[in-house]
Amino acid sequence: MSKNRGLRRLLTHFLLAAAAVLMAFPFYWMAMSALKTNDEIWRFPPTLWPHSPLWSNFADAWDAAPFARYMLNSVLVGAVIVLIQIVNSGMMAYALTHMAFRLKGVFTALTLVGYMVPVTAVYLPGYVVLSRLGLLDSYAGLILSNCVSIFSIFLVRQAFMQISHELVEAGQIDGASHLRILWTIVFPLARSSFAVLALITFIEQYNNYFWPMLITKNPDLQLVSAGLRSFFVQGGAYGLKWPLIMAASAFTILPLLVLFLLTQKTIMRSVNLSAGASKG
Amino acid sequence: MRRTRLASEVKALLFTLPAMIPLSLFWFFPLAYVIYLSFMEWDFMSPVKTFAGLDNYRYLLDNPEFYRTLRVTLLFCAGSVLPIMAAGLALALLLSRKRRGGAIYRTLIFSPWVTPTVAVSIVWSWIYEPDVGLANNVLRVFGLPGVRWLEDPNWALVCVLIVTVWKMAGWSMIFYLAAIGSVPPDYLEAAELDGANGWRKFRDITLPLISPTTFFLFVVLTISSLQAYDQINVLTQGGPAGSTRTILYFYYLSAFDAFRIGEASAVAILLIAGCVALSLLSFWIGRRTVHYS
Repeated sequence: MSKNRGLRRLLTHFLLAAAAVLMAFPFYWMAMSALKTNDEIWRFPPTLWPHSPLWSNFADAWDAAPFARYMLNSVLVGAVIVLIQIVNSGMMAYALTHMAFRLKGVFTALTLVGYMVPVTAVYLPGYVVLSRLGLLDSYAGLILSNCVSIFSIFLVRQAFMQISHELVEAGQIDGASHLRILWTIVFPLARSSFAVLALITFIEQYNNYFWPMLITKNPDLQLVSAGLRSFFVQGGAYGLKWPLIMAASAFTILPLLVLFLLTQKTIMRSVNLSAGASKG
Repeated sequence: MRRTRLASEVKALLFTLPAMIPLSLFWFFPLAYVIYLSFMEWDFMSPVKTFAGLDNYRYLLDNPEFYRTLRVTLLFCAGSVLPIMAAGLALALLLSRKRRGGAIYRTLIFSPWVTPTVAVSIVWSWIYEPDVGLANNVLRVFGLPGVRWLEDPNWALVCVLIVTVWKMAGWSMIFYLAAIGSVPPDYLEAAELDGANGWRKFRDITLPLISPTTFFLFVVLTISSLQAYDQINVLTQGGPAGSTRTILYFYYLSAFDAFRIGEASAVAILLIAGCVALSLLSFWIGRRTVHYS
């Protein structure tokens, strides 16, 4: 019996290790390929470890395209969007949970309808709107068109519904305004949900590709995914620059992997919270 | 009294404005606008739009290309959603009991989800590279002939699916871990006393109890696979020979490549209708199965 159990535990570990290696292997392969010379990459059988790691590939890739600019764009746009979403989701969710007004039902229903509509389907009319507003090819366009998220509103609303209304009333009796109550009483109580909002939104925006690519043509405004992709297309045309392309992919991915390792508890919890948020 | 009531009404509306203004501009208006555009003929440039009635829809339904993309879309949905759920469930079952190294496995398996789809798709296209890529080198080690993965219409969709499943499996695992964790242990113990083996316990107790999660994942993953774009754009751009052109990619090409705005809008309406129907179904079933959770 116990021998059987030991065997089973071993098998489980074996399967899990195989899955983990499979999942992580592309990252390993990316890093190794980034350190090889062009000659070594064309050699058969492939080497699992570079003969003499060529660290200069990273510097060469970094200089081969304006990656500093791309990354700064992504981080900046992502951070501003996170800040705006914290404010507008917080205020909207507060109104929907702790304030009385006639249109509350209508607004809740509207956001629910919005939640069901796939984002990508409204890219075409969204593009027309943005062009009419004169916001194509601008930071303002990149930020404003992403500055509200129904998911974020639902997430915060879910958290605010758990907060007793008596706290809000107590604040009102003390003469505090709603804005004050929101940011000094309610917000701190729901800060873990706001942390989730910030992380998920930032990751989403850093990784965002399709929409930013549609609404910007200016190379100076490209976010990191679009910049990486155009570097890939240029390098791929000659088929010779794979180590540089892998190096560029590596420093694009690295900030997110580091962010994930630092905040994995929150991120994994957020995945489950998102199920709660979408249940309304 | 009435004055304060009015004041609080206005105050509440002011609180909703920072969200409602961009929502109206970038969600609600575009939604209405795309419905309108789907009845118009327009090429993006010309100042006039002409009324086309149902012509755009009719044209679409007569277009064999549309059915080809629909077929690819169904293959893509089935080929990504089911394996993602199956892999997520299997991994969650393996990880459900506390064991040494569990956190490390979980971290590694989940990590692809965090990374940018464009960047990891580029890494995968290096793996799929036909001459010196890893995939063909592995085949060569076993003496098998290489495949021109992304250039072969028979393999391209499989390649895109592998990347999609690789990226999302850990995500569905997290949901299943939570669901399995909330199965009451006494149910399982009771079944054990009745002589149920591992498989019976899984089939008769765990699986039914986690069915709300299964259903939720099915809906959410189907909606997200209907919208898959990044990995297709990097790996195959809908090719070769249209073998990876999904309905979303078709929509994108008709709008921003062919500038057939009316027809593209009709595609968008169908896409929206499909997603809304799926969401409504999930709300409805969620209501009915609420007693489970």
